[in-house]
Amino acid sequence: MSTLDPFVVEVIRHGLSAAAEEMSLVMTRSARSPLLREAGDLSSAIMDAAGGLVGQGRDIPIHLGAMCYTVPELLKVYPAATMREGDAIVYNVGALGGNHLNDVKVARPVFVDGRLVAFALSLAHWPDVGGTWPGSYLANAVDTFQEAIRIPPLLIANTDGVNRPVLDFILANVRDPVSCEGDLLAQLAATSAAERRIREMCAQHGTDTFIAAMARLHDLSEAEMRAAIADLPDGTYEGDDFLDDGGPDAAPSRIHVRIEIRGDEATFDLSGSADRVATFCNTTPFIARSAVVYAARILSGRDMQQNAGALRPLTIITRPGSILEPGWKAAVAAGNHETSMRVVDAVFRAMENVIPERLSAGGPATSGLLAFAEPLPDESWRMLYEVHGGGEGARHDRDGAPATRVHLANTSNTPAEVIEANYAIRVERQSIRRGAGGKGRYVGGDGIVRSYRVLAPSMWLTTCVERTKIPPYGLQGGEAGAPYVITLERDGVVSALPGKANLLLEAGDLVTIEGCGGGGFGAPPPSS
Amino acid sequence: MTTRLWDIGTDIGGTFTDIIAVRPDTNETRIAKVPSRPDAPVTAMLEALAAVGVAPEAVRRFVHGTTRVTNALVEERLPRVALVATAGFEDVLEIARYRREELYRLDIRPKALPLVPASLCFGIRERLDPTGKVVEALAKAEVERLKAWLVANAVESVAICLLHSYANPAHEKEIGAALEGVVPHVCVSHEINPEAREYERASSTAFNAAAMPIAVEYLTELERRLPIGAGLQVFHSAGAMVPVPAVKRRPLVMAMSGPAAGVSASARMARTLDRPRVLTFDMGGTTTDVCLIVDGAAEMTDTRMMGGRPLRQPMLAVHSIGAGGGSIVTLGPGGLAVGPKSAGSMPGPACYGRGGDRPTITDANAVLGYLDPEARLGDTIQIDVEAARRVIAPIAAELGFGITETAMGIIKVAGAAMARALRRVTVERGVDGRDCTLLAFGGGGPMHAAGLADMYGLSEIIVPAASSAFSALGCLTADFSFLQQGTVRMPLANFPHAAFAARVAELSGEATGPLLANGIAREEITVEHVALMRYSAQSDSIPVPFTMPLDQARLEADFHRRHRDLFGYATEEACVIEALRIQARKPSSVPFSRPDVGRAQGTARSRLCVFDASGAVETAIVPRETMSGVTFGPAIIEDAWSTVVVPPGWQVRPDDLGNLFMTRSAA
Repeated sequence: MSTLDPFVVEVIRHGLSAAAEEMSLVMTRSARSPLLREAGDLSSAIMDAAGGLVGQGRDIPIHLGAMCYTVPELLKVYPAATMREGDAIVYNVGALGGNHLNDVKVARPVFVDGRLVAFALSLAHWPDVGGTWPGSYLANAVDTFQEAIRIPPLLIANTDGVNRPVLDFILANVRDPVSCEGDLLAQLAATSAAERRIREMCAQHGTDTFIAAMARLHDLSEAEMRAAIADLPDGTYEGDDFLDDGGPDAAPSRIHVRIEIRGDEATFDLSGSADRVATFCNTTPFIARSAVVYAARILSGRDMQQNAGALRPLTIITRPGSILEPGWKAAVAAGNHETSMRVVDAVFRAMENVIPERLSAGGPATSGLLAFAEPLPDESWRMLYEVHGGGEGARHDRDGAPATRVHLANTSNTPAEVIEANYAIRVERQSIRRGAGGKGRYVGGDGIVRSYRVLAPSMWLTTCVERTKIPPYGLQGGEAGAPYVITLERDGVVSALPGKANLLLEAGDLVTIEGCGGGGFGAPPPSS
Repeated sequence: MTTRLWDIGTDIGGTFTDIIAVRPDTNETRIAKVPSRPDAPVTAMLEALAAVGVAPEAVRRFVHGTTRVTNALVEERLPRVALVATAGFEDVLEIARYRREELYRLDIRPKALPLVPASLCFGIRERLDPTGKVVEALAKAEVERLKAWLVANAVESVAICLLHSYANPAHEKEIGAALEGVVPHVCVSHEINPEAREYERASSTAFNAAAMPIAVEYLTELERRLPIGAGLQVFHSAGAMVPVPAVKRRPLVMAMSGPAAGVSASARMARTLDRPRVLTFDMGGTTTDVCLIVDGAAEMTDTRMMGGRPLRQPMLAVHSIGAGGGSIVTLGPGGLAVGPKSAGSMPGPACYGRGGDRPTITDANAVLGYLDPEARLGDTIQIDVEAARRVIAPIAAELGFGITETAMGIIKVAGAAMARALRRVTVERGVDGRDCTLLAFGGGGPMHAAGLADMYGLSEIIVPAASSAFSALGCLTADFSFLQQGTVRMPLANFPHAAFAARVAELSGEATGPLLANGIAREEITVEHVALMRYSAQSDSIPVPFTMPLDQARLEADFHRRHRDLFGYATEEACVIEALRIQARKPSSVPFSRPDVGRAQGTARSRLCVFDASGAVETAIVPRETMSGVTFGPAIIEDAWSTVVVPPGWQVRPDDLGNLFMTRSAA
């Protein structure tokens, strides 16, 4: 083959991103669950034939980082040689580049002239995947079997259409099968759309060129990541961050990182982190890596193409038996978006004095999740999964923004008008929590306040919120922001709710969450 | 009056004001381009009129498209606007929706500042539920408290957006009525955007409130200086004309006025020339706008972002990308990128010789020989090819390519961004873009069309007559119409036929009203109905046309089919009509006519141009007005305002009206 035209590579890069973005568009426009269609808790990506991620949508960073591993791990147990044109494979287990069981993946191998050239991968957070508690978040789950249904890789569709027995088996084990079926069809439609785009690109540029361009994109990102690491001073940097608790009555759980920068390579050793905990705060090593990949991207200070090639100069170590590599039977529902954020914060703390201008102070690095589940007369359930942001941490040159989400998170709030039209809940208040941001030369952003009045006879509530005890930190002398606060008002009596709990609500209960303020940056001026 | 002989269309852009004048009795057509004057837009408009040699007294109709109002909003030149919301929800604009566009950029503020600062947001005690039932009544004392607060804060314009007002506007109406005479401008969300989701509705209403003082002042001055009554019209974002009084209440309808006019002219042309699928390609200095036209009608959308804030109203689905002729080309370790930074009109591309020192797409075109080094753009800018080569040289050196090869690469990368935009508008509609005709206009469209067609697999390009002033032409030739949309949320199971018919009649009345008020006879008006439908568990709706009296079974079947077209599947689930969109229209009878582009060309010339890796070839330069029969590429077609690039392998022929048709030559 002649040398690869760099302009054609750029054209294919656009095409890959566009294909992934198209997948997400198909999902939000045609999915059923409000969590997908309103909040956008989904991600889409295109992989090369070996599973290396080459194109991604503007979705959720924690998903996209873990998705670098989701197809390579699949291929170890589900060989490419057994895949056929038109196949789609559904799975959610942790061992296969997984994160938590709610995030159901559909992988579609894309063949051109009988040759496997790429994969399209759709990840969607299903609001319930069965298990002990509606919503599938059980705070004190002792293992994964209590959490949800585990789906090993199964052929969900082929050229004959949807594999009904497999679909029925899955739907028989979730609490809102009607929504889940629509969501799964949307995932299949999204991966089909990407398949069409990939074939068009191969037809236009030639399949060999398309494959070579994907390899080049990995190489370009690797080169850029190496250049970025080389720009950082060599040395060893250590940082700590702590989960509020590993669950009820538990002490803060430590996340420790030891970063070694040598030339154009970096090692992130997370072995010093806490042991496996007896709650849903464990996470998979793929999520630990995903968090490091995000943090490395921030450390680089560069606006580079995100793909699997950027991972090559990074060595990421987790310790078996730790909270970040607890084994495949551990409960992991919350670790996905809570423990992962602690990894990012530990990296930031390690680098605080090296590159403060690239970082931001502590913020709402949590899902801030309140999940309301309403039992219906027909014994099905209606599920509201709602995330809550807070104030962004300040930076070296600006204040933090109010009411936002940060880092690995990027789902939206659900409008009060949509909540009230779909659930037996009245949103009584939705405001900015003024003065919550930490003081500093630049001030942290303000948080939010939202109150939910229960109008149904009963509801099952899950809280999954970090930064309720340990507040978002300031940087370089800035003060911490105000932590999250969750309260329950029942019969006029207000009580505090823990950040990670499952409990029953009654009609008339008022649940209020106050989202944290961001940390400040730099010492506050004397007058303030 | 016999002296009022001329119809005028004008498009007021950021840099230039385009004007086209047509004399219907003789079909005489004149075109001009004058610099825009953001400080004195009405004066600039009258100057444009002078440039085509028409006195204000001779104007019969004057239709204009302008983004002046929205530009002011995006540039944060705001009047003193207040927001009134249900108590407890007054921070709705500041909270927004959390989601950020840039995943990995901590340096960028993750969200726009609220259009209305917290100090000008007011919470009023009242509450409805989602069905419109009153949970807490609106007390007189609350309204009095609001009045005092508005006066004390010297508010110029107020946006009122109460929870669930789309289901029951009573409280908003009561407050709106009470504020007449208290605040100069009042707007209520159930009129501006009667649809659910409080943030998007509040944002749209606040935009409208902010636009009102600017628009009223500007339109009033225009009415004073050009007193032609109902002949004075504005082009609106949904692709038609609307009389000035209606715009004063809803200036937001002007948001995409200019681009919509070009698309609208394209839709008309698609119908005239019988092209079932058309992609418009309007490339200007800083942006490129594309839109899909199916069966002669442009696609519609409900939302677009303006300065990082949502604006929700029915609009033509014009997709804009930040890449135009002036977009700056950069080379980073990740590869070559085009835009979104632009050299603007000052200093402009390096080849304009006005101090630009960054390479742009236009510079790449200059290096390839596409731009006339002797004259261009109304003879005001002299192209300096050497300057273009100088700014591209460093990138070429770093890539290890020649300057010409690099220029070709830049055009290719720009084409990729544009192809992505074309893909976006076609996939949203489930159309295979390769079946489309590309309609290229704007300063850069005809120059890049063939390259884009090659990249995207299109087989026909039309460059319309007056391509550089096509939006102005669109103002003149478009239909007269007004559109009304409202939430109904009616399930098809146990369908409430009577309530449905009543709502259709109500919205039809609201859509028809402005046309009747403008003196159009009822029998000349056609009314089009579209149901926005979804499966009951979905959020997004898809448009399904219907006629009255409603054939419910047919509507349901059409919905399932459309869903399958778009997403590849349909289910047995229950479906819902979320909203109704009713458009009243009086079809245009203004014909397209051949414009006088007013530039005498000398004898046929030629120069060296580069089209592909085979290097420079001697290329015929053909004056557009002298064309006849088929011209084979390579050729460059020029008129006073634009350049059409015909690469080798393409051919072009004009029709009687001066439209150009480009196709691939038989091999």
